[in-house]
Amino acid sequence: MRYAYFPGCSLSSSGIEFNLSFKYVARALGIDLIEVRDWVCCGASSAHATSHLLSIALPVFNLAHAEKDGFDRLIAPCLACMSRFKAANVELEHDPELREKIDEVFDYKYQGKVKVFHPLEVFLEIGIEKIREKMRKKLKGLKVVCYYGCVFTRPPKVAQFDNVENPQSMDAIINALGAEALDWSYKTECCGVSMTLTRSDIVLKLSNDLLREAKEAGADAIVVCCPLCQANLDGRQTQIEEIYKTHYGIPILYITQLMGLAFGAYPKEVGIQKLITSPQDTLGSIGLM
Amino acid sequence: MSVVFSKETLKLARKIQGLTGENVMLCYQCKKCTLGCPSAYTMEMKPHELMRAIQLGLEEEIFWSGTLWICLSCETCNTRCPQDINILRVIDGFREMSKDMDYYNPQPFVPALHRIFMALVERFGKIYELGLALAINMRMLTPFKDIDMAYPMLSRGKLKLLPHKSRGAKELQQVMARIRKIEHSTPSPLTGESVGGE
Repeated sequence: MRYAYFPGCSLSSSGIEFNLSFKYVARALGIDLIEVRDWVCCGASSAHATSHLLSIALPVFNLAHAEKDGFDRLIAPCLACMSRFKAANVELEHDPELREKIDEVFDYKYQGKVKVFHPLEVFLEIGIEKIREKMRKKLKGLKVVCYYGCVFTRPPKVAQFDNVENPQSMDAIINALGAEALDWSYKTECCGVSMTLTRSDIVLKLSNDLLREAKEAGADAIVVCCPLCQANLDGRQTQIEEIYKTHYGIPILYITQLMGLAFGAYPKEVGIQKLITSPQDTLGSIGLM
Repeated sequence: MSVVFSKETLKLARKIQGLTGENVMLCYQCKKCTLGCPSAYTMEMKPHELMRAIQLGLEEEIFWSGTLWICLSCETCNTRCPQDINILRVIDGFREMSKDMDYYNPQPFVPALHRIFMALVERFGKIYELGLALAINMRMLTPFKDIDMAYPMLSRGKLKLLPHKSRGAKELQQVMARIRKIEHSTPSPLTGESVGGE
């Protein structure tokens, strides 16, 4: 199936391995990705803290490009982008006054026809069976916790996917690939990334909570589906260990990296070497590296 | 302290409703928002207290508390509010209003980051992560903050030294200019005055 692809700013820099691994998995599953023409930043958490109109206009800019080019489905792997895109669609549908203003801002009148997806939604639509069919290597012996992050299911009116307090989509895929998704209660807690540059103290505390709980649950790795969560938990792990005088060494893997490895990809093809906390021990112990 | 609701104290709640469509008078202080809030531990005014303060018209206290800028925008409060108040939207309303107000802000770097972020987006169409980090570090007078994170990211190609410009940047600049025009011509809901030219 053909999708407009919105990689967003993160996937060309700090989340580069998410881009690589998602594209690998998409190829394997027959998901056709065409990058949105001349796309611009979604505004993330800065636009909606500055101007409501701007926070809707930035996603609409990109959605309109996709619509004009004949797409009715768009994939955004970064949760910040996905959430802003979905919110724009929902708000435009319910707020005629906002729609009027948006139409004033753009030459092209966006019809609201482009439906927004996270890769996981598309994977589940394709089906666990098909994913299992593509598997070449079982991830047997791997114990992980799935971390969905803040806006994957929130608010449900916008996300419209999965169980809001206890999402299951990644767990289902992980279990289907032969690994074990452990139960834990931090699936949708916030890692604090929106304040990563300004109030790092909050971010270090929240991320430490997540790493500690994952370790306590007995996880060898945390599996994520958002480049911002990943950058935080992986990039700041050494700082966290220093400040909280502890050792975690927990690799933070993208769900698409594990899917890719299970589909038979070489570690390099799904960007394993880009991870900061090395997954060598974790993946080596089950013969994946 | 005896609390009296009057036309005067209700003004703030009505203004916020005018701006965001959210009616904070529905809040009955169940504290579900605060209990789920990941950054409430470091807020002087917790989310449920913020709701109360709006009901009582305590505008100055709200801005002085810094709560508006400690909120992480994780949407837990909205999701769990039994009265279906979009608390983040309320907070965003105040954040938006703060541009036209002169209240003391104990967290000045957070809105500063948003301004730098949006300026970079307007310039390049995309975010320039290294530039953003350097600019806000300078603003906070901590130029070497997080320098230990830079090398592992640079060596893995996860941080670009130079900005990349989107081909849509020019079109975006037009859009942003139009938005500014619309916003400057609408009267500010708090002061009732037009903000004037650019």
